[in-house]
Amino acid sequence: MKKFLLLFIISFLFISCSKDDSTEIDIDPQAFDREALMRNLTDNIIIPAYENFDSKLSMLNSDLQSFNSNVSIENLEKLRQSFIESYKSWQYVEMFNIGKAEEIYYHLKINVYPVNIARVQNNMSSSSLDLDDCSSNKPNNCSAQGLPTVDFLLYGIAENDSGIVELFSAENSSYLSYLNLVVGKILSNTSLIINDWLDTKESFISSFQNNSSSSLNMLANDFVYYYEKGFRANKIGIPAGRFSVKLPQNVEAYYSQIFSKDYSLEALKAVENFFLGKSFGTEIDGTSFKDYIDYLDTEKTLSNLVLQSFENSFNKIQLLDNNFSLQVNTDNLKMLEAYDAIQQGVVYLKTDMLSLMSISVDYMDADGD
Amino acid sequence: MKNLNIYLSKFFTLLLLSFVFVACDDDNEGEDVNIVTPPATYSFERNGASTVSFSGQTTRLNQSDELYAALNSSDVTVSALNLMFAGNGGSSAGFTNADLNGTTKIIRSKTSASTLRGSAATQALFDAWISEYVNDVVPNLGADATSGSAGIFGSYQFNSKGHEIDQLFFKGLIGAFTLDQIVNNYIHPNQLDTGTNVADNDNGVLSGTKNYTTMEHKWDEGFGYLYGHQGEVVADAGASPSGSGNLLMKYFKKVNDNYDTTIAQSTYDAFKMGRAAIVAKNYTVRDEQAAIIKQNLSKVIGQYAVHYLSGAVSKIGTATGDDRLGAFHGLSEGYGFVLSLQFTNDGTDQPYFTKDEVDTYLTQLSNFYTVDVSTLQAMHDEIKSRFGI
Repeated sequence: MKKFLLLFIISFLFISCSKDDSTEIDIDPQAFDREALMRNLTDNIIIPAYENFDSKLSMLNSDLQSFNSNVSIENLEKLRQSFIESYKSWQYVEMFNIGKAEEIYYHLKINVYPVNIARVQNNMSSSSLDLDDCSSNKPNNCSAQGLPTVDFLLYGIAENDSGIVELFSAENSSYLSYLNLVVGKILSNTSLIINDWLDTKESFISSFQNNSSSSLNMLANDFVYYYEKGFRANKIGIPAGRFSVKLPQNVEAYYSQIFSKDYSLEALKAVENFFLGKSFGTEIDGTSFKDYIDYLDTEKTLSNLVLQSFENSFNKIQLLDNNFSLQVNTDNLKMLEAYDAIQQGVVYLKTDMLSLMSISVDYMDADGD
Repeated sequence: MKNLNIYLSKFFTLLLLSFVFVACDDDNEGEDVNIVTPPATYSFERNGASTVSFSGQTTRLNQSDELYAALNSSDVTVSALNLMFAGNGGSSAGFTNADLNGTTKIIRSKTSASTLRGSAATQALFDAWISEYVNDVVPNLGADATSGSAGIFGSYQFNSKGHEIDQLFFKGLIGAFTLDQIVNNYIHPNQLDTGTNVADNDNGVLSGTKNYTTMEHKWDEGFGYLYGHQGEVVADAGASPSGSGNLLMKYFKKVNDNYDTTIAQSTYDAFKMGRAAIVAKNYTVRDEQAAIIKQNLSKVIGQYAVHYLSGAVSKIGTATGDDRLGAFHGLSEGYGFVLSLQFTNDGTDQPYFTKDEVDTYLTQLSNFYTVDVSTLQAMHDEIKSRFGI
């Protein structure tokens, strides 16, 4: 009898189930209105943000025409103002590296920094220059065009403003023609992207399934990738030496000097607004990633952590000098602390949010092994 | 009859319990349950050739041995140490052993670097220690260490606060480098499941021209940060880990020898089972084994933070100022293990101590000549209690 019982007990112990530490969720992810999500993100954020960038570029172009006909310090100043507005509005579209933008390497053509000055100078005297000769496999012309190159041309080609104006006003100034070429290219590339969005948006919106090729999954991945790479690494981590030595000359907008912080704050605002589904330029919330994860996590733990981490990152960036390059050289620890605050958001967005949405991360960590 | 009643009552209790156990089997409904059969040793093959590779880890671990020696040298420059720690333009450099140069394997790039726990501010401490050692300690190697100025105490080299830099650095690396890379990086889904790793592993798609799937390789890289030291006999490492090097393996073996004689075998078995689970495409079992590894290896940090703090408490006793010098070597090791606490992982991807908590402790430890023994005792007690040791 005793032996029988023992065997009986043991046999039951062996049947014990495998551990499953995820709480049983009865929520059906399919039931969330992902089409409404895609529609809000596309109609109310992505396209208006591009249109806003485009309209700032038009102003830039119009100020450039005035500058062409009358190269003066006063017109240079006007041109710089519309350039800064353009660069700010760019912060609201850089995260959408998808579709046509990805296909034509739009982002590599608009915001690769630091500028390769030798290449810029080489290009100025080249008779067979093709600025479309820029891709991930052929990157040499990427760092000789786009907003960083305009930043260099408007601020960095001479010691002071009168020196800069002198270079632009020289007869057949190669600086002036290169500036026109680069600005023209930014405009034409941006038009391509906007037209493509208008043509393809319905099919983009309707691709809201959960699979690796759906628009929704790619958009979510691009959002997180931008936060990790374009925002965290490029703007803060690389110049602060997180990945190698300190590189103070690698901050965004190095030549205008005092805007790297503004652009970072705009970028974070853009990230937060996108997460919250805020219609571009308004405080109106539509269906968002936040709504989606709140639907899957009814306690709203994760969305609160995400928003707190954004808040914390804002506060840490606020502590930095307007000129990140100066900040790196004088008190780099503050840069590193800002980086750490932003990094916390990577964990929430990439590890936790994508996993909650059952979306696979579609890019690999850079890895030296 | 009385006996039978007891049997019956026990029988029914157990029957009830058994049903409770059986009930939760529902969780696995609809999943394929692939049986995982671990091999006898950490050895896996495909088409007759090994699929196990962690040479990148071995390179970094070898680099760490040279760096450790250099951090004790009186004839060294900041740039030479930086070269060994951080490389030059993305390429390793500065090592005597030429095989360690010109590779993409760089210790600093994997120091406090995981997505989960990596902190740039903590990484910067290591950079700062290199300059402090060269600029503040080395020039004073002829002087006696005393409160407020750097110097020597026997064979030990202390800064003006009694810190022995190489110990801070290396005990810090145990957490920030080896442990962090294993528990918060390579055996975590962030690495294992990213990109097309799961689909590739499910379908036997190999990584480029290699004989392994990317997921298999990621797991091996985690394994390599513990067992990748040159001379480790991987087949015997369950029962007889080498204790080689100056990083996690050294203290892992010490814990097994001195505190928990099951840790070496259970860790090895979990690595083995987890790797076999990847081969069997059973990710539930894989992650269960990962949780065991995370807890086991984190306990090494907890155990040795406690060990050195306890040693310091008894060595310092009521001594003040320079009479404490005999405690500083051990307390420097303790400092590094305390720093390492932020990289621990309790099996659910939470650290046993947060970075903020660790930073508070490190501030308390900022001057060994003046820190209160009661502070050390309180730190010791809290760590002991959280790890349940």
